Amino acid sequence: MARVVILGAGISGHTAALYLKRSLRKKHEVVVVSPAANYNWIPSNIWVGVGRMDERQVKFPLRPVYDRKGIEFHQALGVALRPHGDADDPRGAVDIVYTDPDRSGETARLRYDYLINATGPKLNFQATPGLGPDANSLSVCTADHATKTAAAFAALIEEMRAGEHKRLVIGVGHGGCTCEGAAFEYTFNVEHELRQAGVRDQAEIIYLTNEYELGDFGVGGMAFDQQGFVSNSKLWTESLFRERGVKAIVRAHVQRVDPGVIHYEQLDGTTGELTFDFAMLLPPFRGVDLKAYDRAGGDISDEVFAPNGFMRVDADYSPKPYEEWSAADWPSTYQSVVADNVFGVGIAFAPPHPISRPRTSPSGTVISPAPPRTGMPSGVMGRTVAGSISRRIRQGASAELGTASMASMGAACIASAGTGLRDGSAAAMTMYPIVPDRARFPESGRDLRATSGEIGLAGHWTKLMLHYLFIYKAKARPFWHLIPE
Amino acid sequence: MDEAAESIAAAPLPTAKTLRARRSLPKQAIRFVAFNLKMLRMVAKGHH
Repeated sequence: MARVVILGAGISGHTAALYLKRSLRKKHEVVVVSPAANYNWIPSNIWVGVGRMDERQVKFPLRPVYDRKGIEFHQALGVALRPHGDADDPRGAVDIVYTDPDRSGETARLRYDYLINATGPKLNFQATPGLGPDANSLSVCTADHATKTAAAFAALIEEMRAGEHKRLVIGVGHGGCTCEGAAFEYTFNVEHELRQAGVRDQAEIIYLTNEYELGDFGVGGMAFDQQGFVSNSKLWTESLFRERGVKAIVRAHVQRVDPGVIHYEQLDGTTGELTFDFAMLLPPFRGVDLKAYDRAGGDISDEVFAPNGFMRVDADYSPKPYEEWSAADWPSTYQSVVADNVFGVGIAFAPPHPISRPRTSPSGTVISPAPPRTGMPSGVMGRTVAGSISRRIRQGASAELGTASMASMGAACIASAGTGLRDGSAAAMTMYPIVPDRARFPESGRDLRATSGEIGLAGHWTKLMLHYLFIYKAKARPFWHLIPE
Repeated sequence: MDEAAESIAAAPLPTAKTLRARRSLPKQAIRFVAFNLKMLRMVAKGHH
């Protein structure tokens, strides 16, 4: 009997767990370790953040689903990997600390035959002094953060209804952030809600970003075929900003957030201060706090993880200038560099480099987006690695590994611009491939026929439908596996 | 006006026809089907 341990129960890890159990059935064990008791459909957190959804609509308890499916669940935090085992046993192991209230603080060492690291991001608010809901700015990264942000937003609207004027700043709180799409979504949902509340004229909305230009989204922007002309996401995005009266500060790194004041540096070396009444700034990501040790207990964290804490996998990590970046740099099997029975998926794997061109200010500050790993590719990675492990367990160690490179995978990203079955809209984008491949597509790096952007009510219907579909799938309801990633 | 503000100010605005189309129930129903078919084609192509 083989034992597969999965760290993390987000889009990547939870997807992997369900597919693995479906494939392996009762003959083998599937174990999930997650510090959170609940699954969170993160894409809908922005709707919680403007008060249009309740936290309960984007979360559900994991344990009943895992019990029903025969998946062993430990509500615990992974703290150390031992990919080559320890002095007692050469089998790989992971050390965990329970966050389950019934056994909080207890530790355990779980052995595995296969391990999937799907731990997602550490929300690194500490990277910017004063950033975050425990300090001077708001967040929508978790359902809990989004609930608190919604309360602050509702209070702000009441003050505006009483006649006050407000400045709202929404964006990213560090020069190395990713997830600009989420910041964009929250910006336009806020704008929509202020119009619905009848107070839009009393609000100045500023989008603060590390992108070189609007429409970058951390993927270097996109080329679109718009009515027979090759247009681009910069023009498309700027059009929405102009249409909705939203201002933008680009090429910015937030140095510090004081109460009511954002201090930032721009790529040209200038600095600025921005006072605000409401600020939602996303944190930069790094890998979660996991260490790694060899059999003798020696620290091998630097071998297993990149300096940013993400897990090194089958990518080309050799330093190279932007002009030499290649689609082939990106991983496809997601196997760890230190053990072929360990995999890193979703946000947890270390990308070889960004997708957008890297830039630094004259003082050496990195001000360019980190590469996003969004829902669709994360789910695909989880499912693909589950398939790889299942084949190896059932057919032997030489069974073929599945591949899911972001350079040969497409993505659909639907950025909500306001809710309402009749009044809502979204900017719906597709891109193929996610990581540009100039060898295959010399003009723009992507297939123009499969890369598109459109704005409309249909986008909102689609995002809402996906909310219900993916929560249904995550709850492993009947025929869940028919819903593709 | 800074560069970002200038660029936004010069960006094209949607026409009244485009704005109506974005909210038109029949047109958006067609776009809903078309976009979801596009996503399904992408999923079918990308899973390997």
